[in-house]
Amino acid sequence: MYKRLLAGLLAATLRVDTLVARVYPDDFNPLYYTGGLANLFLTVLVLSGIFLFLYYTPSFDQAYTSVQFLTLDVPYGQIIRGIHRYSADGFMIVVLLHLFRNWFTERFRFSRDEPWISGMMLLTLTGFIGVTGYMLVWDQRSEALVAMTANAAAQVPLVGGWLRHALFGGTGLTDLLLPRLLFLHIGPAVGLYVFLWWHYTRIRHPKVWPPAVWTLFALGFVVLLTGLIPVTSQAPAVVSQRPQTLAIDWLFLTPYWAMRFLPPLVLIALAVVLIGYGLYIPYQLPETRSELGLKDSGVAQVIDANCTGCELCYYDCPYNAIVMVPSPNPGVTKAAQARKLRAVILESRCVECGICVGACPFEALELPRLLQKDIHEKVLSACQS
Amino acid sequence: MPELADRPPSAAGRRGPKIVGFLCDWAVASQGLVRDDGTMRDLPNVTLIKIPCSGFTRPAWLEFALRNGADGVFVCGCPLGDCFNRYGNNLIGDRVEQLRRRLERQKVNPERIGALFYGKHAGAAFVDAVRAFSDRVAGMPGPAFPPRKPAPAAAGPASAAPRTGPAAQDGQAGAPAGREGT
Ligand code: SF4
Ligand code: SF4
Repeated sequence: MYKRLLAGLLAATLRVDTLVARVYPDDFNPLYYTGGLANLFLTVLVLSGIFLFLYYTPSFDQAYTSVQFLTLDVPYGQIIRGIHRYSADGFMIVVLLHLFRNWFTERFRFSRDEPWISGMMLLTLTGFIGVTGYMLVWDQRSEALVAMTANAAAQVPLVGGWLRHALFGGTGLTDLLLPRLLFLHIGPAVGLYVFLWWHYTRIRHPKVWPPAVWTLFALGFVVLLTGLIPVTSQAPAVVSQRPQTLAIDWLFLTPYWAMRFLPPLVLIALAVVLIGYGLYIPYQLPETRSELGLKDSGVAQVIDANCTGCELCYYDCPYNAIVMVPSPNPGVTKAAQARKLRAVILESRCVECGICVGACPFEALELPRLLQKDIHEKVLSACQS
Repeated sequence: MPELADRPPSAAGRRGPKIVGFLCDWAVASQGLVRDDGTMRDLPNVTLIKIPCSGFTRPAWLEFALRNGADGVFVCGCPLGDCFNRYGNNLIGDRVEQLRRRLERQKVNPERIGALFYGKHAGAAFVDAVRAFSDRVAGMPGPAFPPRKPAPAAAGPASAAPRTGPAAQDGQAGAPAGREGT
């Protein structure tokens, strides 16, 4: 069932790709650069966020006015606030595209679960950072969000009170609230980079930037949006009265909209289930290669005698599965006499793609069940027929 | 390097040029495209060899095929930028380019070596591209490698030379030792 669904989604994804490829050449297909675009937006967010941080005052009586001052009086303040806001939306959009694309094209398979897991953590953190960002403005929406979140947190069994305290510094609106929220906005943003490091460790040459055209287009689009629909605050929060309406940003605040229909506890349980399922996705289809109808060629092996320590495989392995270690002794072949290093495969990272085999000019790498000898035989029999 | 010494200079003209293609497992789905013996259903002169990733291909294997009687060779991977293994197709694209330049210096028509990039469901487009490639190769005269003087060390006349089987340690892209001329 799930398998058939996934196959259908894969076909649909590839069909979308072909459609996009009619407009853009393959190497400019924006769908191939969702990760790079996300990083671009994140960089913009950090830079504009630093600017906003310099003007923001986290206290009840000054938070709103400091944001207004920054927006209306500081040169380019309006634009930079807009850029921060719309880049956040852009970030969420490309992150979701990135998630679904890699899910549907099954790029969580084999030993690629770690980028997936770290990606789920990044997504969770992103949602959290977005919500705290909306709270910092301290307009009526912020107040409503704080009230709803505190209410929901308090209902969690056992740890509810503690959770509420941890998030907002106590019951009601305490003076700790805004400083704490400021930290909860910026701290996890730093955390993003920790998880990004994890996201990248098993990847060689990650595509961290989109092609220049798309960088310019994305930035231009954000600036354009900033000019067309300037970002404004709602009326300032008034502590004595509960706001009645809530302007929803669908990318970040959908759960708050859903609170109209579902009790908070159900929503929290749903979130936990969704995140838990997300973490489980790479393990849901534990299919081996032969079950997928592929040849099981085996983890790449270094033929030590031939290895010259040239590092070509090390640069080309897309999954960082090859490390170069100092070699105590020379190799056997002539080319390998003067080696200082030799290649070692980290087998748990190897996905058996064989790219290192194609990279090695010294025939020092083989896939154990698809040897060069086998390929030669196949080529010869093909030429004979 | 093992060879097929008793093979005619070129199969072109018999039933189309002999073409060997390396096809990545994640690119074009081969179901319905190939027969049991690996030849393509629509193009019996093309044999496909399935490999785990286009980047697995050693350029020396492409040269090996050309030296052993193939009139054309190509590698097919996923669309550039969408490699299942991230970069395999970009890498093989570059390597094919290098191989073409290198073989061009040895008077081999670089158009005999192709790199194609088609996704899983792009079977029809793939077949068209292979057909175009095959037609292009068919128009090229003679075998892939220009005739050479018979090497003095070669054993016996060409037609009687037994095939020694694939010598696994050879294949380093170097001088074609003992290639019997045509
Ligand atoms: S087969 Fe080679 S290139 Fe591919 S993951 Fe394993 S070590 Fe890396
Ligand atoms: S490419 Fe081959 S020779 Fe070079 S380091 Fe890797 S295994 Fe050794």
